[in-house]
Amino acid sequence: MVSISFLNPLSPEGKDIVRELGSFDGISQDIPELRRLVTRNPSQEIVADEEIPSNYLELALKRIEWYVKKKNDREFNSRRYSFLSDQDITKYDVISFYLLCQSIGVKFGPNSRETRVMVEAQGDLVQERLGKLSLQEGRLMVDQSLQLLLKGDTVHWTFFQELLSTRKIRLTELVLDQGELVLNQEDFIDRFGSRIKHRNPSSMYQLLIGDELKELLMVKMIMQETEDYIKQVHEKARIMVEPNPILLELAEEVAKILAEPMQSYGYGSGRGGSGPMKAGPLNSQAFPPCVKKALEGIKSGGRNDAIVLFMTPFVSYARLYPDVFRMNLSKRVSDQDPQLEITEKEILPLIYEAAQRCVPPLFEDQPQEKVNINAKLGFGMHSELKMEHEGETTWYTPMSCEKIKLHLPHLCRPDDVCKKIGNPLSYYNRMLWEVRTLKKADDSGSTTASAENSSEGVGDDNDSPGKDGTTPDKPGEA
Amino acid sequence: MELKPATPNERRQYYREEWDVKNVPDFIRNTLIQREFGFDHIGRGPNDRYRVFRNSDDLRKFMRVRTPFAAYSSVAFYNNPKRRGGWLKAELVFDVDAKDIPIRSCGCDNVCEICLNQAKDIVMGLLDTLQGDLGLKNINVVYSGRGYHIRVLDDAVMAMDSDVRSQIVKYLVGADVPRSEYSSHGMKYNLEHFTIPFGYPQVFTHRVKQALLNLTLDTEIDDVSKDIKKAVIKHRELLYDDQWGIFRKAIGPVRYARLVKGIASLNLTLVDAKVSIDLKRILRLPSSLHSGVSMKSTLIKNLETFDPFQNAVPKFVYERDDK
Ligand code: SF4
Ligand SMILES: [Zn+2]
Repeated sequence: MVSISFLNPLSPEGKDIVRELGSFDGISQDIPELRRLVTRNPSQEIVADEEIPSNYLELALKRIEWYVKKKNDREFNSRRYSFLSDQDITKYDVISFYLLCQSIGVKFGPNSRETRVMVEAQGDLVQERLGKLSLQEGRLMVDQSLQLLLKGDTVHWTFFQELLSTRKIRLTELVLDQGELVLNQEDFIDRFGSRIKHRNPSSMYQLLIGDELKELLMVKMIMQETEDYIKQVHEKARIMVEPNPILLELAEEVAKILAEPMQSYGYGSGRGGSGPMKAGPLNSQAFPPCVKKALEGIKSGGRNDAIVLFMTPFVSYARLYPDVFRMNLSKRVSDQDPQLEITEKEILPLIYEAAQRCVPPLFEDQPQEKVNINAKLGFGMHSELKMEHEGETTWYTPMSCEKIKLHLPHLCRPDDVCKKIGNPLSYYNRMLWEVRTLKKADDSGSTTASAENSSEGVGDDNDSPGKDGTTPDKPGEA
Repeated sequence: MELKPATPNERRQYYREEWDVKNVPDFIRNTLIQREFGFDHIGRGPNDRYRVFRNSDDLRKFMRVRTPFAAYSSVAFYNNPKRRGGWLKAELVFDVDAKDIPIRSCGCDNVCEICLNQAKDIVMGLLDTLQGDLGLKNINVVYSGRGYHIRVLDDAVMAMDSDVRSQIVKYLVGADVPRSEYSSHGMKYNLEHFTIPFGYPQVFTHRVKQALLNLTLDTEIDDVSKDIKKAVIKHRELLYDDQWGIFRKAIGPVRYARLVKGIASLNLTLVDAKVSIDLKRILRLPSSLHSGVSMKSTLIKNLETFDPFQNAVPKFVYERDDK
C-alpha cells in the first residue's frame, strides 16, 4: 500500500516521519539504503555513479533537477529519474521535501522564483507518481488524500478561496450547486440525475468530475499547502536567530540548478544549420518594418494597441525568448530574466520611448497603460513589476502578421522577407540568423547559400503558449 | 418619457420635499459609520470624498442642505472610513449599465425602455447564478438610474480579494468557453456546453443564448464575420426550444466554435468588471437622485414587477412644463 505522504508530505503521516527524524543533524550523511533502492529499481538508468543520490540533500536536489530538466532539456530522459516514483523511497523523499521547503523559505521567501519552482515541481511529481499507480490504487489515494484535505463531506466553493485567488484553479472548472462542490457520484446523481437526458448519468459523472477533477483538486491543494508551508517557514525564520547553515547551502545549490537552463538548455545546442536563437542584446537592424514604424511612435489612432498589444510582446520576446514559437513551451519573463533586470533596464525603456514618441505621448493622457504593459508581461494589473504578481496574467506572445494587418493596418509595410514569415518575431529571428551566417561567410571567405531558418514554429500565432483569454481586469483598450 | 438632467432647483425640491433618510436601505443605514461617503456637487464626478456620518440624522441634514448632484457610499467597510483605514470587507457588486450592454437591440444613445429591460433580463440571469450555483445569500438589487447594481452582502464572499472576484465575474457572465473535450479511462469524448445541463456549462449556455437572440448584423464580435452573423439570425429560432445541436450544425462546427468564443469575450462586458474587483469603490447611494437622467436610485423589492418609469421617477419630473 502506498503511503499518503508519498503524495502529500504535509499530511499527518508525513509529519510523523519528520518528527521521527528529530533534528537535521547528520543530514548529509550517507544512506546506504537509499543508494540500494535507487540502483535496485529495474527501470532506473544510471549513467554515472555520481548520479545516484546518497543522502537527503542529494535527493532533494534531484527533485528540483528532475523538474528543471523535464521542462527545459530537449534530451530529457525520464528513466534517469525513475527512482523518484518509487514508493519505497517515501521516507527519504518526505525528509528531502521538508529540507527543500525550509531552505527555500529561509533563503528566498514565498514570492521567489525558487518557491514557484518548488511548488510546481511538487505538483508535477504528485501527478507523475499517481500516473504510475494502478487505476484502482490511484483512485483510492486520491479519495483518501481529498478526505484529509477537505475535512468534511460537503464543501462550499469559498473553501477554495486561496486556490482561486492564486489561480491554481478556476471557478469555472468546478461543478457547483447551491454553493456546494459536487464531487462524489451519489451526490452528483442526486442533484443532477433528473436533468440529464439522452445520456447515462453515471458516465456523465465520470466525464465531468470522475477522476480528473478530483485529481486536479488534490494536486492543486497539495501545491497550495506547499506554498503555505514555505511562507510559514519564512515568517518563522525572520524572527528566529541563525538559520541552519546546511539549509543555506542547499538553497545555494537549488539556485544553481535553476540558473542552469539559461546557460545550457535550449540555446546554442545546435540543430540543423540554424540552431535555436539565443537570447541576447536586441539588434534593431533586424526589426521588421512594422516594428520600426511603431518605434518611431504612432501619429494617429491606435496608439494604445500599437504600444501595449504589439510592441510589448514583441520587444520582450525578441530580447528574452526569441525562440518561443519553435520551442513551443510557455515561459514566464522571470524564467529568462530572473532578477527582472533586463526587463527593467532594456525592455521597458524601449517600450516607454516608443510610447513617448506617439502623438500625443501615450502616457500623458493614458497613464494607466503602464499597468497594461505590466499585465502583458505577465505581472497582473499592477503599477509595478513585482515577482509576487507574476503569473496573474500571461506573458502575451507577439501578434501574428495576420492580426496586425487586421488591427493595426497602418503599421504593416511588408518587404521581401515578410513574404516568408507569419509573425514579426520570425522576421526578426530570420534576419538575425542571416546577419550571422553572412558574417560567418564573410569571415571564411565563402559565399552563403540559402537562408534556411525555420524559426517559425507550429504556434506561429498570437494564441500560442498558454493563452489565458481575456480577463475581466483586461484594460479598456480604447 | 425623456431622460434629461435635473436643474439645481429640481434637485433642491427633491431633497427637501421628496427624499427621506428612511429610504436609504437598511443595509447601508445599519453600517453607516463604517462606510465612506462621496459627493458630486457640480456634476463633474465625485470629488468631495472621505466623508463620514455618525448617524443617519447627520446624513439627513447634509443632504437637505447640500442637495448634491450625486451621492455615493463605499462598498467597503472600514475601521476608519475617514481615511479609508482598516479595511474590513467589501460588498461584492455587479454593475449592469444599460448603456454598456454589449449587444443592444435598441440602438439608442443613452438609455431607453428597451435597453433598461434588457439590463433587467441580464440581472435576473446573474441573480439565478449567484443564488443557485454559488449559493449566495443576502443579495440586494438597486436601480442605479441607468441600470442596475447587484450588491451581495453575504459574509462568505465579503472578505475576498480582487482575484477571486474576477473569477466570480467570469463564471457569472460566461466569459470562458467551457472545454468540450473530456476523457475517461484514456478515451476522449466530445461534450458541447449545451449538452451539459448544470454547473458552469449551463450558465454559459444561458448567456450565449441571450446574446444570440439579441444579435444584430451590426454587432461587432471578434473574428466573427458578417456571414456567420447572417447564419445566426437565419437559424436562431431553433434556440427558442433549445435545438442547439441542429443550430450548431446549421452554422457549421468550426464557425460555431468561433462564434461562441467571440460571444464569450463579449460577455465579459455584461457587467463592468472594474467595479466588481474594486475593493474600495464608492457606489451611487440608493434613494439619491441621479441628476443626469432625473431618476431615483432605488432599492428594488420585487424585480419582476419593478418598472423604473413607474417606480423611480421623482415628482418634479411630472411637474415639468414641457411634459
Ligand atoms: S508582414 Fe508582418 S512582419 Fe512584415 S511588416 Fe507586416 S506585420 Fe510586420
Ligand atoms: Zn436603449
